[in-house]
Amino acid sequence: MLKIENLKKTYGKIEALKNINLEIEEGEFFGLLGPNGAGKTTLMNVIIGYLSADSGRIIFNNSTISTQSSSFKNQIGYVPQEISLYQELSAEQNLKIFGKLFKLNDSHLKAKIHEVLELVGLQDRIKDSVKDFSGGMKRRLNIAASLLHDPKLILCDEPTVGVDPQSRNAIFDLLQKLSNEGKTIIYTTHYMEEAERLCDRLAVIDYGEIRAIGDLSSLISLIDYKDKLRIIKNSESLKFLDQFKDLGEVIQNENIIDIIPSKEFSRLSKLFVEIEKIGLSEELLSIKRATLEDVFLHLTGRRLRD
Amino acid sequence: MKILFILIYKDIIRFLKDKPAVILTFVVPAILIIIFGNIFSGGGGSRGKIPILFVNDSNSQIAEMIESKLDSSDNLRIIKSYFDDELQKEIKYDEKLARNRVEKGNYSAALVLPIDFFTDTSTAVKFRILYDPKNEIENSLIQGSLQQLIMSQIPRVFPLLLQRKFTADLDTTEFNRFRKGIANTMSSAFGFNSDSVFNSMNPKTLEKRLLIDDTSSVASTGDNMLSSIIKFESEQVVGEDIKSPGVTRTVGGWAMMFLLFSIVGASISLFEEKQEGSLKRLLCSPVSRTQVLWSKYIYTMMLGVVQLTVMFLLAWGMFDVDIFKNIFNLILMILFSAAAAVSFGMIITAHAKSINQANGVATLIILVMSALGGSWFPIVFLPEWMQILSKLTITYWSVEGFLQVLWRNAPLIEILLHLSILGVIAVVVNWYAIIKFKKGNMI
Repeated sequence: MLKIENLKKTYGKIEALKNINLEIEEGEFFGLLGPNGAGKTTLMNVIIGYLSADSGRIIFNNSTISTQSSSFKNQIGYVPQEISLYQELSAEQNLKIFGKLFKLNDSHLKAKIHEVLELVGLQDRIKDSVKDFSGGMKRRLNIAASLLHDPKLILCDEPTVGVDPQSRNAIFDLLQKLSNEGKTIIYTTHYMEEAERLCDRLAVIDYGEIRAIGDLSSLISLIDYKDKLRIIKNSESLKFLDQFKDLGEVIQNENIIDIIPSKEFSRLSKLFVEIEKIGLSEELLSIKRATLEDVFLHLTGRRLRD
Repeated sequence: MKILFILIYKDIIRFLKDKPAVILTFVVPAILIIIFGNIFSGGGGSRGKIPILFVNDSNSQIAEMIESKLDSSDNLRIIKSYFDDELQKEIKYDEKLARNRVEKGNYSAALVLPIDFFTDTSTAVKFRILYDPKNEIENSLIQGSLQQLIMSQIPRVFPLLLQRKFTADLDTTEFNRFRKGIANTMSSAFGFNSDSVFNSMNPKTLEKRLLIDDTSSVASTGDNMLSSIIKFESEQVVGEDIKSPGVTRTVGGWAMMFLLFSIVGASISLFEEKQEGSLKRLLCSPVSRTQVLWSKYIYTMMLGVVQLTVMFLLAWGMFDVDIFKNIFNLILMILFSAAAAVSFGMIITAHAKSINQANGVATLIILVMSALGGSWFPIVFLPEWMQILSKLTITYWSVEGFLQVLWRNAPLIEILLHLSILGVIAVVVNWYAIIKFKKGNMI
C-alpha cells in the first residue's frame, strides 16, 4: 500500500533521515520503534507532506505521489503527537472544522461526527469544550478528528504520550478495532510494550536509519538468546555482581540486574546450577523472555529510553 | 540564606533568558523616555519648530520688524514662499493661497499682516491669524508664540498709535489745545521749555523717532486700551462645525494603536497553532500552505476593519463625531490602515522565533510607532530627525489620513497619498512576509 524509497532529509548538517526504505502492506499494523530523536516524527512529517524530503519517493497504491496532493491527503488520517485541537471550541465544533476541510457534506459530516465520537466513547461530551476534557479524552478526540473522512491509512505519532494506563488501553482497543476493520496503521512509539502489543510488523529506527524490519519473532531472532535471567537488585544480589559477570553480559537497571547468558550457559538449567553454587536466594531470580528492548540494545548498543 | 540566593539567582537567569521580558523591562521604557525627553526638554536645542505661513502685505517698517523677529523665533518656522515647479521660481504666499494651504492641512496656521496693517493714518495695527486647530496643544503654542512675539514689538508704535487715536477722536484744535496744556504743565512743574515740549508731540516727528528708538519701556497699559489699538483677528478656517473637536482629532490615533496590538495578536496565533499542532493537522487535510496564510491574512484584515469600525461608531455614538459626512473616504482609510497593520502583524510573525519574542518585539515597535506616528501627541513636538522617522511609520500615515477625513472632510484626492503609502506598505511588506514564511519553514 505504501512504499518509501531512498528517503533522505537533512536539517543543516544533521541527517534526520538516512536513505529510508520501507514497505507497508494494506491492512497492516506497522510500528516504528525508536527512542526520542530517532527520526520517527520526521518520517511521519514527510509522509503527510508537512515536510518535504531532500530526495527519495513515496509510492502509494502503486503510484508515486506528491504528498501535497489532495487525493493522497484524502486517503490518510494523521494523529499528531500533540493535542492538535482548538481547546476553546467544543468537540463538535472541532470535528466540524476538520471534517469540512475534507469537503464532507453537512448531513454526512453530522453522521460521521456522531460515529467517531461513539467510537472513541465521547458521544455524551459532544457539546463540551475540549479544554474541559481530561488528558485521555483529548487524546481520544485527537484520534477521532483523524477518522472523519474515513482514511485508508492512519498515521499515529506517539498517540499515547502522557496518557494514564486506563486511557492508553482504551486507545489500544480503539486502534486494534480500526485495524480489524481493515485500516492500515503506521504507529510510532518508543514504548516497546506498545509495539509488541499492537504491531504486526516493526521497523527499528535510530539516528534516522532503519536498523531492522520484521515481525516480533524475526526481530527477536536477531539476538542470540531467547531468555535472560533477571535478578532483583538489592544489597544481597549486589554482593555477587562480579560472579554474575562470569555467567554472561550483565546489564544493570534501577531495580534489576539482567544476565544475558553466554553460550556456555545457553541452557538455563546450567545457569541455575551456577547461581545455586554462588548462593543467591532463589526468591530474587526469574526468567524473562527477550524483548524488543533487548533487540534495540543489540542493534544500537543503547537502550530505548537512554 | 543560601537557599534564598539560589532562588533569586534562578529568577534572574530565567528573566535574562526571556528576551521579550528584558525588552519590555528596559528597551521599551528607555526608548519612550528618549522620545518624551526630547519633547519636554527641547531635544538639546534641536526640537522641531512648528512651520507656519507668513504673509506680509504691509510695507510699513514695523511689519518688517515683526517679520525679522519671526525669522529668529525659537518656536516657529516661518514659511513665506514656495517653489513653483512650472514657473521654476519662488512664489510668495498671498492670503488666499495661505488660507487654502491651512484649509488643506499643509500648515496649521498662517499669520497675515494685511496691506492696512499699519499705515500713515492707522489708529490700530491689524493682524489676522488663520488657523486650523487640528491639534489643541499645537494651536495654543502657535497662537501664544505669535501673540508674544507681536506684543513685544507693539510698544515701538504704541505712543504713536495712542496719539493717532487721540487725533482721530479729537479735532485738530482740541488736540493742539491738549498738547498746549501738557506743554504748559511740564514747563511750570519741571521747568521744560513749553515750545519744545509742544513740538515734540508733533505726529510727524514722533513717528520717525519712535520707530528708531527702543521704546520697550512703554509697554505697560490696560487691556481695553490695547484692544482698541491692536486688532488681533483670529480666524479658524477648518473644523468650525465639528461638534467634538477633541475626540475627532484623537480617535484615529488611539484606534490605530489598539488596532496594531490586536492585529499582532491575531497574526501570531499562527505560532500557537503551530505549537499546538493544529497547523499540522490543517496541512494534512486538503489545504495548502498558501490557503492557510491567506485565511490568516483575511481573518486579521476582517478583525482590523471591524475593530476600527466599532471604534469610530463608538466615537459617533458617544461623542457625536460625525463619521458619516465623509463616509466613503473613511471606509477607504479603514481598509488601507487595516491592510497595512495586518502586513505589520505578518512580518512580525514571519521574523519571530517564538510567541514571546513576537509579543516583545511587537510591543516595542507598536509603542514606538504610536509615539513617533502621532497617536499620542502631535509630531511637531518631536525633534526634526524624529519627525523624519515618523514618516516611516504606518501610524503616521493612518493618523494623518483619518485627520484629513474626519477633521478636514478631505476629498479623495487629498488622501490619495496616505492611501497609496499604506497600500504600498501592505503589499510590499506582506509579499516579503510570505517569502519569509516559506523560507523560514514557519508554515
